[in-house]
Amino acid sequence: MQPVPIRTSLIFVAVIGAASFLPQFGSEYVVAVALSFAMWVALAQSWTVLCGMTGYGSFGHAAFYGMGAYVQVLTWGTLSPWLSVPLAGLVSCLFALAAGYPALKVRGPYFVMLTFGLAEFLKFSIIGIEATLGQFSRLIIGAPSPNALYLAMLGLAAAATLITYVVSNSRFGYGLRAIREEEQAAETIGIPVARYKLTAFGLSAFIPGMVGAVMAMRLSYFEPSQAFDALISFNIVVMAMIGGSDDARGPLLGALFLIGLSELLWARAPQVYMIVLGALLVFFVLFAPQGLAKQLFGGARRRAT
Amino acid sequence: MSFLTINGVSKSFGGLQALRDISFDVEQQEVVGLMGANGAGKTTLFSLIAGHSRPSLGSIHFKGRPIAALRPDHICRQGIARTFQIVRPFANMTVLDNVIVGALYGVRQERSTARAAASAMDILADLNLANRADDPASSLTLSGQKRLEIARALATGPELLMLDEVMAGLTATEVSELLDSIRRIKRRMSLTILMVEHVMQALMRLSDRVMVLHHGELIAQGKPQEIVADPKVIAAYLGPST
Repeated sequence: MQPVPIRTSLIFVAVIGAASFLPQFGSEYVVAVALSFAMWVALAQSWTVLCGMTGYGSFGHAAFYGMGAYVQVLTWGTLSPWLSVPLAGLVSCLFALAAGYPALKVRGPYFVMLTFGLAEFLKFSIIGIEATLGQFSRLIIGAPSPNALYLAMLGLAAAATLITYVVSNSRFGYGLRAIREEEQAAETIGIPVARYKLTAFGLSAFIPGMVGAVMAMRLSYFEPSQAFDALISFNIVVMAMIGGSDDARGPLLGALFLIGLSELLWARAPQVYMIVLGALLVFFVLFAPQGLAKQLFGGARRRAT
Repeated sequence: MSFLTINGVSKSFGGLQALRDISFDVEQQEVVGLMGANGAGKTTLFSLIAGHSRPSLGSIHFKGRPIAALRPDHICRQGIARTFQIVRPFANMTVLDNVIVGALYGVRQERSTARAAASAMDILADLNLANRADDPASSLTLSGQKRLEIARALATGPELLMLDEVMAGLTATEVSELLDSIRRIKRRMSLTILMVEHVMQALMRLSDRVMVLHHGELIAQGKPQEIVADPKVIAAYLGPST
């Protein structure tokens, strides 16, 4: 992989640095919005590693988020919450590898339906398990402070952005894009297609699992139909699509745009929020299918040299 | 031991027998042309060698190793590259990126994108595509996309190059230019070439040997001049004389 340009890395470090001081002078509201922004950046970046690059669109990323949250509440009180977070990432990752092995054999709309179905299946399984155990929701008492959780989420957003950036500019990223463009041709020039898709799927589940674990502490309770809510999957897809692009810029722009918009609309006109969101998605699909990133930064990818 | 050995290969799709008991050898640095009418089994044979499907019967050896059971990416890494008759570019990537991917994988497994880009530029120059390096692959004409197919295959660093009708649909000038390019590259990279071609001029000028497939069987092989005079070949193409 090529060295990271100095300007990009300076901006990255400066933004993360500035954002980590936010709790010192920002209001509670500002920190809450920033946490939500960081969460969606982390999720949308993770989604892009698989879906933006390989073209396998997942409509089931809520499953990884929910798994992470579930691991956190199950281990609450027995394991340090900061140990549970990476454990949650690992469990989500393993789940993705197990589910991805058969699921990645189909592509296009079939893969979309399959991931959606798998996520719903997991949701209702967990609801069933919880009901059998006599648990209808679990509380988390004594969670770390919102500021600490914000910093954790910021770290996850930074890590996810870094992963997407590194993958996007690496040999692995070239292989994934080739799979997206023409899978059989990719295999013919020596790309281990099945292994690459599975690796990308596992990678794209890791951070969402950790995000779920952190959010469970932030919300301080766990309720399966909420943690595995399909709306989480939809939101990730909408952000990634509005942002566009198969590198780290798209998810950043998409999350920024959507979080900004939703804060404005929830405050001013909550009754039209979903309507505006729907209209926007239609607009982007019809008129700017390449997303904001392509509109702002131009067409074909710059050359590698 | 031959470079490439096809031994008793048959392939059927359900009740249709696409290839029947095909055997032949290809020697190192030889250029072998494969001709035959549509449906004769030429592309099927290519798919078997490249690992896209497996023979129903028979074996394929490359440099002494059996390859019939390997996956396409493994076969590519052994040193066999193919082009597709219907071009399959990575359409939304630049012309250069298309070729870079080939160099990053294949036999070469180049770890540095910068070094891959440098060798990709050389290959693009060989195929008169250097000035289009930064354009998206989808913007190339058919002739350009055919040359890009070859460039991407070459970038993997093959010893055996399989060309599937790369001349089809090109104008006479383009055919002649591409013939020159292929000759030049073959010499420089010491390639062995197996080519399916309908353009007789290309077969005549490039091939050391021509093989003729007809209804899934190998009916003749020999020097290009002998093949065009072979009564069996003429009968297969024009129907038996009465």
